[in-house]
Amino acid sequence: MSTQELLQTRKDLLTIGDLSREEILQILDTAKPFKDLFTRSVKKVPTLRGKTVLNLFYEPSTRTRTSFEIAAKRLSADVTNFAVSTSSVVKGESILDTIDTLQAMQVDYMIVRHSVSGVPEYIARHTHAAVVNAGDGHHAHPTQAMLDAFTFREVYPDMKGKRIVVAGDILHSRVARSVFEVMHILGVEVATFGPATLVPETIPSYVKILRSFDEVFEFDPHVLYLLRLQLERQKANFFPSMREYHKLYGVTTERFKILRERGTWIMHPGPVNRGVELVDDVMTYERTLINQQVENGIATRMAILYHLTPEEQKRLPLPEEIRA
Amino acid sequence: MSEQLIQNGSVVFHGEKAPVKKDLWVEDGVIRQIADKISAVEGAQVLDARGKILHPGLCDPHVHLREPGREDSETIQSGSEAAIAGGYTHILSMPNTDPPIDTGGMVTYVQSMAMNRSRIPVSVAGCLTKGRKGDKLAEVADMAAQGAIMMTDCNHALQDAYVLRRALEYTRHFDVVVGVYPDTPALSGEGVMHEGELSFRLGLQGIPAMAEEIAIERELRVAQAVSGRIHIQNVSTAGGVASIRRFKADGLKVTAETTPHHLLLNHESLKGYHTRFKMMPPLRTPEDQEALLEGLKDGTLDMIATGHAPHTDFEKNLDFSHAPFGVTGLESALPALYGQLVASGKLDWQTLMRAMCDAPRKLLKLEPISFVEGGKFEAVLFDPEGETLISRETTKSRSFNSPWLGETLKGKVEQVFLGSSKLI
Repeated sequence: MSTQELLQTRKDLLTIGDLSREEILQILDTAKPFKDLFTRSVKKVPTLRGKTVLNLFYEPSTRTRTSFEIAAKRLSADVTNFAVSTSSVVKGESILDTIDTLQAMQVDYMIVRHSVSGVPEYIARHTHAAVVNAGDGHHAHPTQAMLDAFTFREVYPDMKGKRIVVAGDILHSRVARSVFEVMHILGVEVATFGPATLVPETIPSYVKILRSFDEVFEFDPHVLYLLRLQLERQKANFFPSMREYHKLYGVTTERFKILRERGTWIMHPGPVNRGVELVDDVMTYERTLINQQVENGIATRMAILYHLTPEEQKRLPLPEEIRA
Repeated sequence: MSEQLIQNGSVVFHGEKAPVKKDLWVEDGVIRQIADKISAVEGAQVLDARGKILHPGLCDPHVHLREPGREDSETIQSGSEAAIAGGYTHILSMPNTDPPIDTGGMVTYVQSMAMNRSRIPVSVAGCLTKGRKGDKLAEVADMAAQGAIMMTDCNHALQDAYVLRRALEYTRHFDVVVGVYPDTPALSGEGVMHEGELSFRLGLQGIPAMAEEIAIERELRVAQAVSGRIHIQNVSTAGGVASIRRFKADGLKVTAETTPHHLLLNHESLKGYHTRFKMMPPLRTPEDQEALLEGLKDGTLDMIATGHAPHTDFEKNLDFSHAPFGVTGLESALPALYGQLVASGKLDWQTLMRAMCDAPRKLLKLEPISFVEGGKFEAVLFDPEGETLISRETTKSRSFNSPWLGETLKGKVEQVFLGSSKLI
């Protein structure tokens, strides 16, 4: 079986770990021509014409939802947004009830975001639609990791042996988990850096733990990937203050000078906390890839939708009353 | 069944390492004769038990019957029928109902309902603190006078060491045991599974082993200081077993239980985010499983309790964080333990009998059951070659949240006898 065939039979993308190295490379290769479309006056291809893509977001996220929406529209799919407040759980509607409803609407692709880990996997088990995990709890954010790999690869076509440091709140980050995986599979040396409370010893053994910015400079990454720090972590005593966090783990003006001299690339999944993860100057630095990540997100998500195949929909039986 | 002859069964006797093939003559629920060979007399019922195990009726000291309050998930009737199906002839009902069982009147209420609706005796546990809130002692003496034999706040772990101390002191005069669920809520927090590499990978918040270990240390230390009578529920960690072993060696009178699930399953089961494996304490590691088995064999862990915790499909179909903790266990316990531990030689029938009959009966202050002439006939007939399908169709419990749902377990409870009545 060729890899092309393998990919065509994949129904869902739930975690990076589901994908082989070959599949990852194939998706990244497909994303390139999709990105080239964006500079044309007509940015659309007819690939998913007649298909329905549903954004099922249990957690608000304008950026990711919009990115998927544009990606699906550029593939000519019909896109519907279905925002569910988690309070419907309290009202007595379970996820399964919602999925049954949507299943009856013959949706082909479901893009699922949920604050609880495992929900996209649960939904995928109960629907014929192809399910794309758009971020679940602290578990996984595979499309983010794929767009990050795409962005990395634009700068370094041969990723093997390159080095990345993922810095910040690893414990609560689905982005970190997925970025670790994709970079490791593609041969990038992975290190991480953050307060010890937020960098548990239970991270995968291939990830090197760095304890100070001095060690980061010693590791000399090609890419420094800063994670967004959720401000509420401070309240739970993971670190004493924003000031101390920035001083120890942020890109300060002094550190930015060194990074710029070395030509280190900066990535961030957004949105950025200025003055916490990084100082303002970094945003205008020519090697900051944050905006490219956003643009590449659309192309990569197009490639992912293109590669997934919903199961053959079984027709629901007609209700008793209207059966002949 | 006034006269019954049970022939050729392999009988689990006290003091015999392996089951012994004997015939039993039972009259009006009392064992009249035990011999190598007893011939049938006219009119007596004869049961050929060749190849089957005759074991004393099981006793479960940790069952949530959900009545009053959550009859949609279980009732005293459905729960006790589930117990009978699993080979149990006595259970202890937990007080975390709605409203909770925290007064003598409530104890009487549950007892009278059980009298009418259960075919096996049900002992009643009362709350240790009012409303299980952990701050004010419930009227322990009043509940004890009505027959409650354990005081426990169930899964609301006592946070306040002062309350624990006073509770253990106060109960000393009333011949009741304080049951504690060992947890340090500040450490287990919002966790939903065992903390470790797997919880990191699955992105689920972890419950560290130390949350249990610290609680066990603290509770045993307090019990030791005030000579309280304490029972540790749901032990799941190797560290917890080690602590109990040390305190027992020091002379502390403590009893402890673990569950079939914690003995037979580990956190690897959570990989598919199936909520039927979500329980508190969480499923731990294979190393913890081994330590629990070791602790069970050397007597550190006195007994196996199912912690039978029924929840409706709707509740268990919620996402992994919102679905409630707990699994059912009454109907699967014996076949699951038999298939995985006894049949493979890791556990002998003697230890199983101690853990599922002798020790829990002693905890509940019941007469021991033994196959001796003149003794009451309270037994389960178990076919090791049979099969038990755990399915929605076969389940007697109102809830289906068994970790083994859909599986066929080795061995089958065929008949259950309680004195002169044959329950199945």
